[in-house]
Amino acid sequence: MAIEQALQIFVFVILTLMTLGGGLAVVTSRNLFHAALSLILSLAGVVGYYVLLDAGFLAIVQLLIYIGAISILILFSIMLTRGLMTPRQVQRNEQWWIAALVVFLTFVVLIVALWQMVWPIADDEALRTPNVAISQLGEALVGPYAIPFEIISVLLLVALVGAIVLARETENNQGSHAEAGSSE
Amino acid sequence: MAIPLSWWLTVAAALFAIGLYGVLSRRNAIGVLLGIELMLNAANINLVAFWRFITPQALTGQVFAIFVIGIAAAEAAAGLAIIISAYRRRRTVVVDELDTMRW
Amino acid sequence: MRPQLPTLDLVPLYPLLVVTGWAVLVLLADLFVQHKRALGYLALTGVIVAAVVTVALWPGVPTSFQNMAISDGQALFFNLVFLVTGALGLLVAIEYLERKDLQRGEYYALLMFSLAGMIAMAAAEDLLIVFLGLEMMSVALYVLSGSNQRDMSSIEAAMKYFILGSFASAFFLYGIALTYAAAGSTNLAQIGSWLSGRGIPKDPVALTGLSLLLVGFGFKVALVPFHWWTPDVYQGAPTSVTAFMSVGAKAAGFATLTRVLYSAFSPTFTTDWVTVAAVLAAVTMTFGNLAALVQRDVKRLLGYSSIAHAGYVLVGIAAASPVGVRGMLFYILAYAFMTAGAFAVACAVERREQSTTTLADYAGLAQRSPLLAAAMLLFMLSLIGIPPLIGFWSKLFVFRAAVEANLAWLAVLGVLNSALSAYYYAGVVVQMYLREPGRSPAEEVAFRPWRSALAVAVFLAAAATVVLGLWPGAVVNLLMGV
Repeated sequence: MAIEQALQIFVFVILTLMTLGGGLAVVTSRNLFHAALSLILSLAGVVGYYVLLDAGFLAIVQLLIYIGAISILILFSIMLTRGLMTPRQVQRNEQWWIAALVVFLTFVVLIVALWQMVWPIADDEALRTPNVAISQLGEALVGPYAIPFEIISVLLLVALVGAIVLARETENNQGSHAEAGSSE
Repeated sequence: MAIPLSWWLTVAAALFAIGLYGVLSRRNAIGVLLGIELMLNAANINLVAFWRFITPQALTGQVFAIFVIGIAAAEAAAGLAIIISAYRRRRTVVVDELDTMRW
Repeated sequence: MRPQLPTLDLVPLYPLLVVTGWAVLVLLADLFVQHKRALGYLALTGVIVAAVVTVALWPGVPTSFQNMAISDGQALFFNLVFLVTGALGLLVAIEYLERKDLQRGEYYALLMFSLAGMIAMAAAEDLLIVFLGLEMMSVALYVLSGSNQRDMSSIEAAMKYFILGSFASAFFLYGIALTYAAAGSTNLAQIGSWLSGRGIPKDPVALTGLSLLLVGFGFKVALVPFHWWTPDVYQGAPTSVTAFMSVGAKAAGFATLTRVLYSAFSPTFTTDWVTVAAVLAAVTMTFGNLAALVQRDVKRLLGYSSIAHAGYVLVGIAAASPVGVRGMLFYILAYAFMTAGAFAVACAVERREQSTTTLADYAGLAQRSPLLAAAMLLFMLSLIGIPPLIGFWSKLFVFRAAVEANLAWLAVLGVLNSALSAYYYAGVVVQMYLREPGRSPAEEVAFRPWRSALAVAVFLAAAATVVLGLWPGAVVNLLMGV
């Protein structure tokens, strides 16, 4: 048991290094492409977290959608919008130190609140056997969560239509973007 | 569970703070978006950790996290379309980055 | 084992279903209809049908849909506000898009999807629905703001709105996560009963969650100090979109804000959020009005004015009483007519190659187009709060609620602010009535009353401003049932 616990802590530390280290690289890297790659590292750490938290299905969703779709979309966008992946001069704006201050205060407030709290942790029995069956998730999505499920499908439709509306060249665009259009 | 709830919450808060710093300090719109993704993930870690430790028998936290990932996908699709559209329009006028965001 | 499908009671969802279904219908019709203008009228029909359904459900459906969505009086009243705004926004757009050569079927579909998101927000009983509705409304609005691809300011507006909007969503989500942690549920009523049922009076995590939720709401409804995106977005977006979102998005934000504060964070946290709301209201209205004083661009001016009005609405919320809620509801209805009407006039004045209008464009409007100028005069007077227009009653109701809630200082500040705001609203009137037209006649506004959809929108808004101002009792009676 002790070995298993030690192992879990070890994995947690590795994952934390990935997640937070990747996160730091995301926000500080001068090269935006590297930042996006670091995002993938960070998100992969989160996948590991979900596995540690016994949320296996969520880990797969995170892997497929967050890493497989969203990150790749971001990488494509970076390539489409800069053409070159050379390091850029200044990536952070002039008020970065104000930002740092705001962030530090937010973090302190969050930590103080979270550590003060006496958590209503579930009893040992419930903690040992979390409710993880995928079939139960599926039933929840067509049962109590039917209406959110419907709304999110409409939301995805809206995003799809919206992206097409914006990405499509209008007929009135006087052909000045003809070569830009070919890179889509 | 070997790892207590407070560890998870601390990690999530740290990730949220890192993302927040990215949003506030980046000049490039995509850079800002990367920060936002970190913040969303931090919230998701919280949701899942709370589900695991506080309501392991109810599905709320996990289901919510799944929805959040879907919402993030929708948001990213629309947002990146806007950013690309802005770039396409602007490149013909000013050869500069998307630095129009002045905070 | 076969999953047991629940029996569905769809009645509370009818308005949402009608609008969503109709939006999909518009999207499909877009494939076959050549005259995109017709799609605008198709969408308008859908909005009217949804309004009829909403009225038929009045005064509210007692059952809720699986504890997720409810159509109580408040939700239905907000639905009416959204649908009125949507109808005005569609009427404006039909004409405006034609003139700008932007006529597209997707515009109308997206506007309806955005309406559906707002309706979901007002009906939400669960933070999940709040969040989904918020995103559906916002994503559609981001795209609509950027729908004029030939105009760089439109795309910039879309980008700013998107970045700020998703930033706000991230705060909002973190707030939801902490609230869920503190209460073990995302259902608003359950959160409320859990938080008040516990021994700990001030749960630090719930308090942090509440603050983060308020930051998210602050961005969405543009409260100072989270407002700074508003003028840019309102100015840059196509004016027909601004007319719609300046009212709809704000009303939807307040709809959920009210629900979250009143059912989830009352009574344990009432004193906390009342203080915060009162301070935010004071700062918001004062700053909005001060900043509006120096604006030359009318869309920007109306943008700052809308920030100030968000402050007045918040006064009603800060009162934390049924009277305050009713005052707030009345205020939002009044705000819908006044602001959408004023932006509709701005659409009419805007010339084809412009994307916005400066004060100088209004010079001599009374000579060029007396009816349009008269309508704008009404909106300006109503926004100041001159009796007997609707804006007067709305301010009276929220300020009275504030006095009753021992927030007399806030009411006094509100009255002073109204006086301050008279200065810049009067500036527009002075331009219209006392200045000579500076333009060559060829560029005059083509405004044919009764023959254009835009004119109908302006007329409807102006008529409501006067009629509901003369007989506010009708709305008040309606609100007594909420």
